[in-house]
Amino acid sequence: MIEVEIDGKKFQVEPGKMIIEVADQIDSGIGEIPRFCYHKKLSIAANCRMCLVDVEKSGKPLPACATPVTDGMIVRTRSQKAREAQKAVMEFLLINHPLDCPICDQGGECELQDVAMGYGQDISRYNEGKRSVKDKNLGSLVATEMTRCIHCTRCVRFGDEIAGMQELGTIGRGESTEIGTCVERSLVSELSGNIIDLCPVGALTSKPFRFSARAWEMEQAPSIAPHDCVGSNLNLHTLRQKVMRVVPRENESINETWLSDRDRFSYEALSSDERLLQPMIKENDEWLVTDWPTALTLVAEKLGKIAQEQGANKIGALLSPSSTIEEIYLSQKMLRKLGSNNIDHRLQQIDFSAQDSMPFYPGLPMSLEDIETQNTLFLVGSHINHEQPIAGYRVRKAALLGCSVFVLNPADYTFRFPVQDKCIVKPSAMPNVLAEVIKVLLEKGIEEPVAGLRELVNAVQPSEFAHTLAAALLTEGKKTIILGAIAQNHSHAGHIKQLADALAKMTHGHVAFLTAGANSAGAWIAGGIPHRGANKKNLTHPGMNTQQMLEARLSAYLLLNVEPGLDCANPLLANQAMSTAEFVVSISPYFCHKVASYSDVLLPSVPFSETAGTFVNAEGKWQSFKGAVQPQGEARPAWKIIRVLANLLELPEFDYQSCDEVYGELMQKVAENKADSHFSLSIPSYLPQTIVGIERLTEWPIYRADSLVRRAPSLQETVINDSPVARMSLDLANRLQLSADCHVIVKQGEGEAILPVELSDTIPDNTVYIPAGFGLTAELAAPFGAISIERSDS
Amino acid sequence: MSSQEKLSILSQAARAEIDHWLTKYPPEQKRSALLPALHIVQDENGGWLSPELIEGVAHYLGIPPVAAYEVATFYSMYDLQPVGRNKVKVCTSISCMLRGADELLAYMESHLGIKAGETTPDGRITLKKAECLAACGGAPAVMINRNYHENITPEKANELLDDLE
Amino acid sequence: MMNKLKHFFKKFLLWEILVGLKLTGRYMFKRKVTILFPEEKTPLSPRFRGLHALRRYPNGEERCIACKLCEAVCPALAITIDAEPREDGSRRTTRYEIDLFKCIFCGFCEESCPVDSIVETHLSHYHFENRGENIMTKPVLLAIGDKYESEIAKARETDAPFR
Repeated sequence: MIEVEIDGKKFQVEPGKMIIEVADQIDSGIGEIPRFCYHKKLSIAANCRMCLVDVEKSGKPLPACATPVTDGMIVRTRSQKAREAQKAVMEFLLINHPLDCPICDQGGECELQDVAMGYGQDISRYNEGKRSVKDKNLGSLVATEMTRCIHCTRCVRFGDEIAGMQELGTIGRGESTEIGTCVERSLVSELSGNIIDLCPVGALTSKPFRFSARAWEMEQAPSIAPHDCVGSNLNLHTLRQKVMRVVPRENESINETWLSDRDRFSYEALSSDERLLQPMIKENDEWLVTDWPTALTLVAEKLGKIAQEQGANKIGALLSPSSTIEEIYLSQKMLRKLGSNNIDHRLQQIDFSAQDSMPFYPGLPMSLEDIETQNTLFLVGSHINHEQPIAGYRVRKAALLGCSVFVLNPADYTFRFPVQDKCIVKPSAMPNVLAEVIKVLLEKGIEEPVAGLRELVNAVQPSEFAHTLAAALLTEGKKTIILGAIAQNHSHAGHIKQLADALAKMTHGHVAFLTAGANSAGAWIAGGIPHRGANKKNLTHPGMNTQQMLEARLSAYLLLNVEPGLDCANPLLANQAMSTAEFVVSISPYFCHKVASYSDVLLPSVPFSETAGTFVNAEGKWQSFKGAVQPQGEARPAWKIIRVLANLLELPEFDYQSCDEVYGELMQKVAENKADSHFSLSIPSYLPQTIVGIERLTEWPIYRADSLVRRAPSLQETVINDSPVARMSLDLANRLQLSADCHVIVKQGEGEAILPVELSDTIPDNTVYIPAGFGLTAELAAPFGAISIERSDS
Repeated sequence: MSSQEKLSILSQAARAEIDHWLTKYPPEQKRSALLPALHIVQDENGGWLSPELIEGVAHYLGIPPVAAYEVATFYSMYDLQPVGRNKVKVCTSISCMLRGADELLAYMESHLGIKAGETTPDGRITLKKAECLAACGGAPAVMINRNYHENITPEKANELLDDLE
Repeated sequence: MMNKLKHFFKKFLLWEILVGLKLTGRYMFKRKVTILFPEEKTPLSPRFRGLHALRRYPNGEERCIACKLCEAVCPALAITIDAEPREDGSRRTTRYEIDLFKCIFCGFCEESCPVDSIVETHLSHYHFENRGENIMTKPVLLAIGDKYESEIAKARETDAPFR
């Protein structure tokens, strides 16, 4: 510890810190030193010179952001010398900055504006013409007014250091310096929206928000991101009962100061034209607007009748994994009180064979921050930068700190971090690769954790990758196997999970799940699964999972914010099951024509911005939020809808007055019961065969993941948003005599779809990538498995 | 553009020459060879760099395209537009400016009938302003192709320009 | 005794009336200050703060750029503005409303306007016949501006040297 004096106050600080860091500490009592280029999360550039301070024994003022403290240093941030230097820099910065604050979206929250109030002069001494810079087209999310740029290079450093892909650069030199891309190019980073927050002036602003509101007129309400299991903290900015924009809320342990584009721009869907605003019932194939009592009474009557006449197990519920924990808890309570265990939120999955040995909830067995301290990470079936962008950033931080990242994927995704070694195989070969690694470990003398493992993996031939990975897993340090969406949705997800468990056991590592939806951990905890209630115990008579419910053609389905054709793993089957069901009730904030075609009652619920609720993130953190605006139209929070429905069904113990009561009851249950902590390690009985012919690979693209993002137009227009295509390698296309401009007929069981061909060197041979979440691909069946492809002549 | 196409935009010879430069730097510091690599590619392409070539170099060195573009736009030694057979660069930095570089440049402009940054219609000469050529002792300095010429007066400039092919 | 006598004669000779008539008589021959409204009107200062108007540039382009400063400065919260990018990419209002029931005619909106768009005109005689007419919408405000542009411009010009 050394002692420094800043503005007459003495501080004991660690050596190596910069003056600005010391002054920025909360309660330091030093007023803010003006700055533009300095940002605590970025490297130090010291190119704006705004933070010049007067340091004793230094002839010239020194930049506070790039001057490390030394013992006995005396700093004055507001002496005459410091002030004069700061004012001079301000004058330089304002030479070329336009005076267009009235039409600038940054006006009112502009760092340059604020600092100019303190350090600027009324009149410029510079009479020459100001320079003007051509605006750049950076895509549908970020608007540019490059004349306003003061070249602080925060956006450039963000791309290079945080996003992991430098997209912007300082082009040219001297007076003709500009911030731009190489040629005209849209941003592809999934974190690109953060440069809007970083830009201290109005050079980079939000395109969807453009000109629509002012910083001072909006109210701020804290909330939680509704798309991925990271649970980023955010603030909703509202004006006249409408969410105008979303900005990150700083939480060092979760999202730091960042926010993914999906969380930032999906708010557009909150005021979508497709919002369902009144309860509707179908009479003679026509939709009639009705009132809540009529609609709810009808639903209660129908469900009651089906339960009585056909048995409650003829009723099933599909829940969105982004529903709040209160909604899920009440849904499962209602269904289980009715007598049915058919409830599931795992819409994208098809293999549930390992569900009994799953932990209390699938997530990270550590905190998000701990990802950074891992020594070895093994990503299995994960496109982490697209699935959970913020978790991807944590992996990037780990990799930069020296963590070796290994990847086993069915496509060669571009990651924003250096990858030590990767293995890109057909989807059906993925379990085999894990078996190969286990075999290498066994050969190296590691004991088999369960009897029979050696026999199981005996036949496989370990590849070079298996050897490298095994060696890395055997080194000292923390290691984690992360199972991503493809591993969980895989047709042999159970095998992958069991083999990963064995691998972790053998190498003293952990298995982590990064799940879809904002609250799948919460769904497991609250009992939104057929085989466990909200008491952590496996049921003796589990209900049906998603796949079974659809296959069993139940009489009644309850959909909670689910669009089966777009959200379910097997959209063909889902749509068929819904169409043949006697009674389908959809509780959703949106009117979807496909859902309406087979539903009997549509009940308007509200998105996360209009209800109170709780999401549990991957690390098991319960994060509650309140509604920021009133529910639109007649729409009501889903927990209230389910409560009244349960009241009408005359089920006991549904007398909740507030969301907090539901939360309290669930909390109590969770605290009372102990989880079955030691699930015995089990191994699969066989290794799945690799499919010989062409097989399908499916992913829910980043901006097709749920009903909210699908309705956010700006996200749909981005370049990283997928379109319904059949993507394949050049080799396969050549063999099938296909070219990039033709269409193919994809056949999968009964399903058939005509899709354009796209060539890519990221897809392994004999594999065709077809994204889910599109109406066009909803005509196909399961996300994995054999398909046939032929050229379409039309 | 696939990675194959990005690679094939650089000629075999250029790649070999870049490889030679790469040996001079640590393997994880391929970025260091960016300046010579751009020169090699520029010389091969008739004295200028197209965006595709810059991207090709970036791809070859494993750096983001914009990082190479930053460098190519920063240095006045790189040209991003097609150029004439001879590049004439007039230093206009402070020493040369004080010794009459502005007048010299104006003279050359009127003599050639083009502005700085332009190429004569016959494709013979591209006239450019240059940042400090580090020849302050002989200001005003002019660099023609790879040769320095110091203490240039309009008369000397006349001779030099007329001698160019 | 003397006072009583004085009082008697004052009363008898209507003295007070004569005193009063003296004042009346004095004013009768003074210059008159009353005017015959509505045929006659008092002169108005160029700074008079009457009904609002939105102005245009001579080329017909509306001045307002939706900066929302008037909305922010309005102490009575009488102004409501919605904005979005117009087709040509410029920043424009889609709604500009002033509630005249709330407005206190302080003139802050005019002071805050960076482009001299919102102004208060010399109009002070207006009435409402129907509910809702108190809300001055954008077309109404622009129409007033168009109609009285010459007067508005003249008033600003007269006042300019004093600002």
